[in-house]
Amino acid sequence: MMLLAYSRAFWPLFLHVLGAMTLFGAVLTALVTSLAGLRAATVRILIVALPAWAWTLGCAYWIEHDEGLGSSKATWLGIGHGVLEPGVVVLLAAVLCSWWWSRSGKPLAGRIVAGLSGVYLLLLTVAMLAMSGKWGS
Amino acid sequence: MSTTQWLLMLHIAAAFCFVGGSVAAGILNVLAIRAERPSDSATLLRLIQRVLPVIFVGVAGTLVFGIWLWHELHFSIGAAWIWIALALWAVSGWLGSVGGRHQERARKLAEQLAAAGDASTEELRALLRDPKGTAVSYLAGVATIAILVLMIWRPGS
Repeated sequence: MMLLAYSRAFWPLFLHVLGAMTLFGAVLTALVTSLAGLRAATVRILIVALPAWAWTLGCAYWIEHDEGLGSSKATWLGIGHGVLEPGVVVLLAAVLCSWWWSRSGKPLAGRIVAGLSGVYLLLLTVAMLAMSGKWGS
Repeated sequence: MSTTQWLLMLHIAAAFCFVGGSVAAGILNVLAIRAERPSDSATLLRLIQRVLPVIFVGVAGTLVFGIWLWHELHFSIGAAWIWIALALWAVSGWLGSVGGRHQERARKLAEQLAAAGDASTEELRALLRDPKGTAVSYLAGVATIAILVLMIWRPGS
């Protein structure tokens, strides 16, 4: 455990992967609950996804700093950044739509939330595949 | 992409399904425990069945691609961290199935109560908040996180 505690390379990667897996799980849950028409549950779950997103991004920058990847032009890194940073717009849109859905009860809002959750889950999957397979390296 | 890159990508994708699916099942279970009406608890517990295929793909994929990577990367047959991870994988799967059976009992009772006026009872509340059932689910989660620690740390390799 002492080795683990002092292993700088371990912590940022472990925390980044754990955050990404939590984000993936939360968005998957939001997709399932929105398709089932559960308004209140979907809002709560998508709000839980936001700190998971911030955690994942923060740890990604920590890894980049430690590994000296700040100026890297690697494809897999670009895809990861592209999904995690501008991709948050999709997540925020899903949160806002779920809030609108919980207030209005309009089925259209529910369908939009399901669509946005599905798109974001797909984006996360592409980023995860690109980063784990080191695409373009 | 090399064979190793392909295998690593598929192994990690399976791990995301395993852990992400478990997170989803955990969230749905917590929401079911907190729901006021039995019909809501029943719906949320039924939704866990929708994420089970994701977990099963993850459980199978991590094992198959993990063992393949073991061979591909020429890790020693006596690598303790891999054997410990395999033991934890089995423990996590067993605890997950025990927790799943407990959730099934709660779902059936919640459905019966939903059909009979949708009023919660002490029996349902006790079943949903059963300390043994909760402990089993949390231990399955701890075992899964311990596997992740081992996979990233790879002590001795």
